[in-house]
Formats: sequence, structure tokens, C-alpha cells
Amino acid sequence: MGEHETTGIFESLVEKMPGNFDIYFWNFVVLMIFTLFEVGAVFFDKIPGTDIHITLTWVWAILIGVGIVKGYGIAAYFMHLKGDPRIYTRTALFPVLFVLLMLWGIGLSNPGAVTELPSWCTPNWDYAVQR
Amino acid sequence: MSGGEAHVENSIWMRAVLMGGIFVAIGLLAFATMGVGVANMKHHDYEEAIHEYEDAKYAYENAKANNASEAEIASLKAAKDDAHHHEVEAHLSYLTWRTAGITILLMCMTYASFIGLGGFLNSIFPDDHGHDNHGYGGDDHEHHGSGSPIVFSLGIMLFLMGFPSFQETLGHMLSGVDADLGGLGLSMLGLLIVTAGVANWWREDLPFIGNHEQIATSDPFEGQHIRKAGLWVFIMSEVMVFATFFSSYLRMRTEWCTQWQVNAGNENCTAVDTLTASDFLRPNGGMLDGLGGQGDFMTLLPGAINTFALIISSYTIVLALKTAKTKDWQAPEGMLGKLMPTKKAAVRNYLIATFLLGSMFIVLKLVEWSHLVAEGFTIGASGTTGQAASIFYIATGAHGLHVFIGLLVMLYLIFKADTVGFDEKNGQGIEYFGLYWHFVDLAWVVIFPAFYLY
Repeated sequence: MGEHETTGIFESLVEKMPGNFDIYFWNFVVLMIFTLFEVGAVFFDKIPGTDIHITLTWVWAILIGVGIVKGYGIAAYFMHLKGDPRIYTRTALFPVLFVLLMLWGIGLSNPGAVTELPSWCTPNWDYAVQR
Repeated sequence: MSGGEAHVENSIWMRAVLMGGIFVAIGLLAFATMGVGVANMKHHDYEEAIHEYEDAKYAYENAKANNASEAEIASLKAAKDDAHHHEVEAHLSYLTWRTAGITILLMCMTYASFIGLGGFLNSIFPDDHGHDNHGYGGDDHEHHGSGSPIVFSLGIMLFLMGFPSFQETLGHMLSGVDADLGGLGLSMLGLLIVTAGVANWWREDLPFIGNHEQIATSDPFEGQHIRKAGLWVFIMSEVMVFATFFSSYLRMRTEWCTQWQVNAGNENCTAVDTLTASDFLRPNGGMLDGLGGQGDFMTLLPGAINTFALIISSYTIVLALKTAKTKDWQAPEGMLGKLMPTKKAAVRNYLIATFLLGSMFIVLKLVEWSHLVAEGFTIGASGTTGQAASIFYIATGAHGLHVFIGLLVMLYLIFKADTVGFDEKNGQGIEYFGLYWHFVDLAWVVIFPAFYLY
């Protein structure tokens, strides 16, 4: 939401689009379409008009993929992190360190953490196995 | 006032009082039509559906007791199930209208008391015809901050101190039981101080037309607007708050055997032991002890509409900012031009559109909650379903609270857009609020798939 000009793949695509719509409009359109996609992935068992079954793995992948695209669209264009000075992006990303720590904690306290997680992301669980 | 600010008579705040009156009227009208008129009709339908279900149930049990033919029993069972389904539908339909009516009334009353009381306090404030003392400085000095946030924080502290007994005391008062007013009184005093602090903050900001925005002079934000940097630091802390909810949810979810886990073939999950909100909302959700598994298009619809509403509202606030920042703005042609004949009206109307979408979000959210509670998804539910309900209501409730606080702030922005106005110099007020609003949208981008679809 700043006043800086930005350049990138999405921006150059927008320039080629018909009509006199700006990048915010096209970002809005992308967000709406991806939301439809997200809801549709959960709502339908099969891809409409086909016999292709939408598996749980696909739903997972779609939810995460769509979430990343939507999150990027909102942060980069609506919040104008793309174009604003980098310090704002760094400020926004700073808590991600703590989020990663929390995710690590979730993994370590998971019921299967002792036996199922790779050793490189766990402390020495030997004492737990020996008990 | 000096040349660095707009000249604002305090009497202009009476327009805020008028806004408050309009909200009271809208709230009462919505409650009378939706919460009482339509809801009473729906309640009548619901009562009829209960009778039909009881009759069908009696006929079925009677047929079984009298050893009727299998075909007759099967037919009566189908009729009983049908009547039960109809009863549930009628109940949810009643809840929809009743909850919507009550929610709109409560929201409008809160809007009215906030903007109305704030406006009233400022309208009776003596006009300052001398030198500037509003903090937003004249031509020779820059904005040097405000003490209002400290007053505001004190009010929040008192409100929270009294909050634990707030609901209990209110319940006692409504049911005619002797109530200890201590906690409730402290909370109400806190709310009054919050309103006074916010009203003073508004009074300081209203004349601000963008001159002398304070700039950071040292690393890491050197050269940046201090208010914008502060807003980003605030958003950083908000990310942590939502990350806490989200990580709690993920941690608990790793131990639940949900329908999703069973379908995914998790070898530790042979049967469903936990229902999540999505089991009630999405199609093919899990069932446990007769609960859940009834999700279809209509149950998923409120959450989906809310997702679209937040995205559209994010775009309308961008349009409000873009309009404010455009120097040679021209009214659009056609119908839109009639709605937005001037730049000032356009900014205000885009803000109003954002406000309406946000309000709709809250109404649909509470309607959805009322349905989930009626279907048994409560924090008192047996087993780990109660845990799932707890984290669902906490996370979506905290998000809803953020939306509602945003709406209260937007009331002031609409008022300013309608009086002093926003332009390319002071439009950053909308920009900074927009950052918060987009963050709320961003949080929903994570909450919606995690709690509603997964």
C-alpha cells in the first residue's frame, strides 16, 4: 500500500492484460480465483467433469500451495512489501524464526518423535529409549 | 489552529453523535425484523417440526412394539429420520435469524456507543482558538506523539481486571439474582476510560492533514515514517499471537485420530476419536457418537463467503487509499459516478463498503458458531472433541475480535473521510489502517484452510 513502483513477473504479466486495470485489481482477481480453487478442492471428490479422484495428499498440497500464493499476494502487493524498503519485509519475517522454533517443538513433543523423526532434528533421545 | 492543520470546530463532532443515532436505529430495526419477526416465524416452524418428529418417532416405536411388518417398520424409520432431519434444519434456520438479529443489534449498539460517546465527549470540549496544542504541530514543529494510548491502555487494564466476573455478574443481573457489581463495575469503568482515551486520540488526529509526519532518525528505520514502522512492529507481535494459537492447534492435532487421519491410512488411527470443526462443516466429515458428518455446501458456505468478503474488503480499502492518493481524481462514469461524485465521497464510500463487508463477516461468524454449538461442537463435548472446539473457538474468536476492533477504528476513518477528508497528503492514515486490515485477511488465509477445510 505504498507508492513505490515494483517490477517482477506478475507486474509484467499485468502490463500485458487487456483493460486499464492496475496490479491491485489483478491481485484481487488471483486471490478470488485461488480461494474458489481451495474451497473446490475440499468440496469435490473428483475433478468436475472427469473421473480423476482428488486424493487427500492432493488436497493437502492444494491447501498449502494456495495458502502460500494468497499469503504472498496479500503481503507483497496489498501490504506492499514488494516495493517498500527491505526493513519492513525483515520486520514481517522476524517472527518466522519463532514460528519455526514452535514447529520444531511440536515435532519434538509429537508422540512419534522418539522413534520416527530423523536424528538430525532431534536432541539425543537415547535416554528416552533406554528407560 | 495554525496553518499546519485543518481548522476543525468541535461542534463537527455532533455528526459523530448523529452516526451513533443511525446505528441505534439500524440495530433496532434489524433486531425487530430479523431477530424477532422472522425468527418468531421460524421458531413456529421449528416447534411444528418437533411435533412432527415426535409423532414420527412414536409411530415407529409403536410399530416396532406391535411387531409390524419389516417393510412398514423400514418405512416408518425413514419417515422418522426425515422428520428428524427436517427438525434439525428448522432449528438451524431459526438460529440463523435469531443470532443474526441479536448480533446486528449488539454490534450496532457497540458502534453507536463508541462513535456516539466519543463524538459527544469531543463536541462538548471547548474549542481551541489559540495556539495549537494537539500534538500535530503548526508549521514550525512536527507531530510529537500523544498521551492518549496510555489512557487507552489503562482502560484496557481495568476492563480485563474486571472481566473474569463480567459474564457471571451480567448473568445474575439478567436472571434477577443478587449480583456483586464489583467486577462488572470495574470493567464498565475500563470501557469508559477506553472510550475517553480513544475520543481524545480522535480529537488530536482529526485536524491532521499530513504536515510534519515524524520521521525516524536512526537505524533500522532511518528515514521512514515512525507511525508506519510502529505499525509493522505491532503486526510482528500479532504474528506471534496467531502463531501461538496455530502451533497449539497443530500440536494437539498430532495426537487426534480424526476422519482425515483415518482416511489417510494412519496406522495409529483405526477409528475416529476426535471431531474437528471441519467434520461439521465440510462434506464427508467424520462422525462420532452421532455427531458431525452432516456437512454439505450450505454448512461450508458461511466460511467461504467470509473468505471472499475479507478479500473484497482488502481490495476496497486499497481503492480508498488509491483514490485518496490520486491528485487529479475524476469521477467515474455511469452508476458508479453517481455513488462517488467527488473524491471525498469516493474515499468515504470505499471505506463504508469495507466496513459493511467486515460487519457481515462478524454476523456470519456468529451464525456459524450458533450452528456448531447447536450441533454439539462445544468445549464441553466429550473426549478430545472438547479440545478441538476450545482451540477452534479461541483461534477464530481472536480473529473475529481483531476484525471487530478494525471495524471500530474504521468508524473513525469514515467520520474523518466525511468531514476533514483524506487526500494525497494525509492518506497514509488509511494506509496504516490498511496494513492492519490486510494482516487480519492474511491470518484468515491460514485459519480458514486449517480449521474449516482440514
